[in-house]
Amino acid sequence: MATIINVKEEKALETKNFEFTYAGAPEPSLKNISMPIAKNKVTALIGPSGCGKTTLLRSFNRMHDLYPGNNYGGEILFEGRNILTEKEDMIKLRTQIGMIFQKPTAFPMSIFNNVAYGLRLKGIKNKTELADRVEKALQDAAIWKETKDRLKDDANGMSGGQQQRLCIARAIAVEPEVLLFDEPTSALDPISTQGIERLIIELKEKVSILIVTHNMQQAARVSDYTGFMYLGDLIELGKTEELFVTPAEKLTEEYITGKFG
Amino acid sequence: MTHTQKRVLINKIVMALSVLSTLIGMGFLLWILSILVINGIDAINWNIFIYEGAPPGYEESGLKHALIGQLLLISVSTIIGVPLGILAGTYLSEYGGVKSKLANIIRDISDIMMSAPSIVIGSFVYAVIVAPMGNFSGWAGIAALSIIMVPIILRTTDDMLQLVPSTLREAAFALGAPKYKVILQVVLRGAKTGILTGVLLGVARVSGETAPLLFTSFNDNFLNTDLSEPIASLTVTMFNYATSPYEDWQKLGWAAAFILSMFILTLNILGRVILAPKKKK
Repeated sequence: MATIINVKEEKALETKNFEFTYAGAPEPSLKNISMPIAKNKVTALIGPSGCGKTTLLRSFNRMHDLYPGNNYGGEILFEGRNILTEKEDMIKLRTQIGMIFQKPTAFPMSIFNNVAYGLRLKGIKNKTELADRVEKALQDAAIWKETKDRLKDDANGMSGGQQQRLCIARAIAVEPEVLLFDEPTSALDPISTQGIERLIIELKEKVSILIVTHNMQQAARVSDYTGFMYLGDLIELGKTEELFVTPAEKLTEEYITGKFG
Repeated sequence: MTHTQKRVLINKIVMALSVLSTLIGMGFLLWILSILVINGIDAINWNIFIYEGAPPGYEESGLKHALIGQLLLISVSTIIGVPLGILAGTYLSEYGGVKSKLANIIRDISDIMMSAPSIVIGSFVYAVIVAPMGNFSGWAGIAALSIIMVPIILRTTDDMLQLVPSTLREAAFALGAPKYKVILQVVLRGAKTGILTGVLLGVARVSGETAPLLFTSFNDNFLNTDLSEPIASLTVTMFNYATSPYEDWQKLGWAAAFILSMFILTLNILGRVILAPKKKK
């Protein structure tokens, strides 16, 4: 049985008996996951490769809907509604729940237009408002100093770490409630990684964060809660300092002490 | 001979052979180009751009009719062929994908069409347009050239769009973009240099076509801009003049060959320049 602690804070997201099956797969990849995600906290998901961390993460903004035949079961609650229903508006949902990918995904356009992309999608056309909100987003993503003199340059000319922070700026510009990070530093060097981690901790004042990471030290450094997943199950969810020091489940202990994984 | 000496020797032989083959290939290319340039430049003068076709022996004969006819044929088939090719390629990559049966059937058919002899396409257009309408026409020529152009542009577009990483699409969707905006603003934009190259190569390819024009747009010795009538093209004019027994017509044939080659060469070079990685500042 899984050990899931009670999250005292308000919940940003919550899954109830959540299941997910990939198109054509005989078995569900995620089984019976009930997981609360605290508001304005960082929750990390750890576990060995193939355990379903990223699959779970991509369910929260229904990224799986881009490919036909994938199947959800159970419920994901967000702002009091189940977002897995047919009538859920994907466009609105994805502006409320943003995502940062493993590799930086700067669009083939200028730095300014990258950050303004989501704002324009929301229908903001006023030039001063756009400029103000782009500047604010770049400042919040701690990249304004490096970019303010080259806003018109192609975003693909930046370094990997800069591009990843640009992607974070792009995601926070539309002021989402939740940000999903899918191994955001696995393609970056140690110094850029440090910068992104600091940024994640700062951002939780404004957004609730869920981060998938291969790196247990990273989970310990940035998160308030940590969930350990194994073979499609959520084995344990606890406060980060407790989960790493006194894990309740034997599997969790074996994983964090490096016995497998 | 030691093992190392043997390897060094084999290395030298292989290198000499490949350099020699390159030189033979380059030699023929330079030979063709130099004959073309020497005869072409000799044949080119202002009269070519001022006068239309004339009987042999007349001073005032030129290629104006063929140049304008050629430009008309090429530009109208580009206007028809490019949007069709890009839209169909976009369908294959973005809506069909690599797994779709229908998309793969279209890919196979377009590959077959690309390698089909162009004279076959010419005879097809003759059968479905020229014969029922009762006369050769510019439109028939344009139909043949567009049919040749579409599969080239369709395949390049398809290939170039598939090179755009899927995470880039996902990132745009993750910001709440609807599919048509993802395609127009992110995917096509990311592949635009590749697609432009495909367009240039497609235009260059049909610019040199003679066979499909011989029995579609046919020829006209005088200037005609009415596409429902037969219309002159550089390639057919070149064929007629070059095979004629008159020396001044043969000279015009050289001029047509030179102008056509330079046009196609420019398109090809442009295509390369666009694709070449930009130098970092």
